[in-house]
Amino acid sequence: MMNATRLKMGYVLFLVGGLLLSVPGFATVEKSSTSAAAPAASIAPAAAPQKAEQKSKSTADHSKFEELKRNFRNGPEVTKACLKCHTEAGKQVQHTKHWTWEYVNPVTKQKLGKKHVINNFCTSVKTNQTFCSACHVGYGWSDDSFDFSKEANVDCLACHDTTGKYKKIPGLSGHPNYKTMEWPPHSGRFREPTDLKKIAQNVGKTSRASCGACHFYGGGGDAVKHGDLDSSLKTPERYLDVHMDAEGLNFSCGECHLSDAHKVTGSRYAPTAAEKKGALLRGKDDGRNPTTCRACHGDAPHTEYAKLNDHTDKLACQTCHIPEFARGRLPTKMTWDWSTAGRLDEKGHRIQAKNSGGQVAYDSKKGDFTYERYVKPEYVWFNGDIKYTLFGDRVDGSDRVKINEFMGGPDDPNSRIWPVKVFRGKQPYDVENKTLAVFHTAGKGDAAFWGNYNWDKALKVGMASTAVAFSGKYDFVETEMSWPITHMVAPKEDALSCVQCHKENGRLEGLKGIYMPGNNNWPIIDFLGYSVALLALIGVLIHGGIRYLTSRKGG
Amino acid sequence: MVKTILGFIAGIALVMVIAISFAGSLMMKEHESPFGVEETAARVQANIQSLEDRGWKLSALRDPARAVAASGSNVLPVLLVEACSTKYSGPLLKDDETRILSILMPCTITVYKKDDGKTYIGTMNAGLMGRMFGAKVASIMGEVAKDQAKFVEMDPKKPAPLLIKTGPGGGGGGAGGDAAGC
Repeated sequence: MMNATRLKMGYVLFLVGGLLLSVPGFATVEKSSTSAAAPAASIAPAAAPQKAEQKSKSTADHSKFEELKRNFRNGPEVTKACLKCHTEAGKQVQHTKHWTWEYVNPVTKQKLGKKHVINNFCTSVKTNQTFCSACHVGYGWSDDSFDFSKEANVDCLACHDTTGKYKKIPGLSGHPNYKTMEWPPHSGRFREPTDLKKIAQNVGKTSRASCGACHFYGGGGDAVKHGDLDSSLKTPERYLDVHMDAEGLNFSCGECHLSDAHKVTGSRYAPTAAEKKGALLRGKDDGRNPTTCRACHGDAPHTEYAKLNDHTDKLACQTCHIPEFARGRLPTKMTWDWSTAGRLDEKGHRIQAKNSGGQVAYDSKKGDFTYERYVKPEYVWFNGDIKYTLFGDRVDGSDRVKINEFMGGPDDPNSRIWPVKVFRGKQPYDVENKTLAVFHTAGKGDAAFWGNYNWDKALKVGMASTAVAFSGKYDFVETEMSWPITHMVAPKEDALSCVQCHKENGRLEGLKGIYMPGNNNWPIIDFLGYSVALLALIGVLIHGGIRYLTSRKGG
Repeated sequence: MVKTILGFIAGIALVMVIAISFAGSLMMKEHESPFGVEETAARVQANIQSLEDRGWKLSALRDPARAVAASGSNVLPVLLVEACSTKYSGPLLKDDETRILSILMPCTITVYKKDDGKTYIGTMNAGLMGRMFGAKVASIMGEVAKDQAKFVEMDPKKPAPLLIKTGPGGGGGGAGGDAAGC
């Protein structure tokens, strides 16, 4: 009886104690020193700091060259002047992918390059050269009759402009504007004629800005295509890319993408997925790809935590060191649905709708888009070979078509786990012939989709430019295309932590062929472990129970 | 008697352990959003604006991730939507006893991305917090909690609104006051 009363009393006091604790003092007055913590940045007034571009250390001042002291009527005239001194440059360029837009994969034997591949952005160069050649290192490519042998057609300024004033305008077949023109169309803004003399007198080495003039804008806009390349990299801060950090290492593209005779290394058509030959001595020509991480950092780059080096036989460096892509100012495009393109308003006018971030989410010309920033990559095994779905390759309309497929697997010693951006979309295909269909997007004539919004006409003209039969019957098929992620290398303290993979539902979840502690489990081991713990608990309870009972008996 | 005191102390200790263990999760509420960070923040802003009749006004949108980036490091996107309602802030600010609660003003809703790639909305558990500070505050914060529940409603049928990129003090560049809602 006494025990029961004490128990009740204890219970009441327990509750009272709890209640007292749950009603804390309203506010404790303390004298505090006011240290101003860094305030969170507000969105509105932010202005990116201007950072100095690298100054030229060239031994030649092109403004002093007599050949460049005259006015030029067009780009080819500038090229002719360049070739008077750089006699072999034109021929060299004509042997590069930047000129041919062609590449034959030695393993798959597929003919690739922009001229031959289909993608799920603007889909194809075919019939659209007047627009696409704004990113060709040439002048005048408007159709299949373009003379690829004429050296004067090579555009030196596209890569060697240092003024930032040289703009090749889509629709002008690779030329800049030589007359005043409204750009973008109907914008009310006008571009003055390109000052070719000034630009020619200021040529220099390539830079992030000159390479980025095309590579940051792939897919039809800034940050659209690659996910790890956008205009934020013109003057990036350290958080965005430790190598290109404008106030740090300040690498230009050419620091890694070493070139020889105008051939630039590190093409995504011929990537190096795995390497184990140590650091590459710059200048030593042994045929290796100098753009890889290991070409500089070697095979065992982790000195502080050497255990990390044990991962390099399975993981690409990029997997840990680029934890997310699209970390710059802009989101990258993640999906593109062409099937909704062509919707017009009641008056038959083009519609454009923006998303919350101010990006175009719907355009009558292009369909629906989605975007994302700080995107977690998807991860694939990759041995450097990529198989493409090309013109005429059979596709099954019921399945999502892989426009490219990264080859490799866990048992392949040349494979590594790579981060990729997977771009998904819907695009037209021939429902009878079961092939992807390309279309005339832009340009003159009434067949251009951006002019008439008529798929039948646009597809008919587009497919006629290929050697592939077209039934005239089309629908839209889901597609996906993968892009290796290799830029936007984060500071080492921002690399993936162990636990981001070594846990359930970690980063590499679903990737076949790996056993990862913390992520994978063996049911039998789990069963044995839990059994031992349970038996120990039961043992403790029985032991404690016996002692309790015997102590009561003993009085 | 000793056992009674021990029981009392054990009770206090247990409540402390429970309180410490669950305080964080009780004080904050986390909701998953079907949209991206910017769209979620824009929808929260639109929801707040729809409650103008209850005194709510947007006061700022902050990006603490940008400050981290400026220091050379990366964090996943975070946006802080700040709003205030004079209907609730006024009575609290008028009273010396409750003026210190201005530390909780303006009302902040955080929208952030996690490593799983999903977007989340975080709010303070205004109702629970209010109950700690007496009847008057509990009543006011209870109303705030009701409104907060509306802030985080994500209706996919509604079109995505444009994110309002306003700095502290309101979009007009004023010194706050009515424009800031507090």
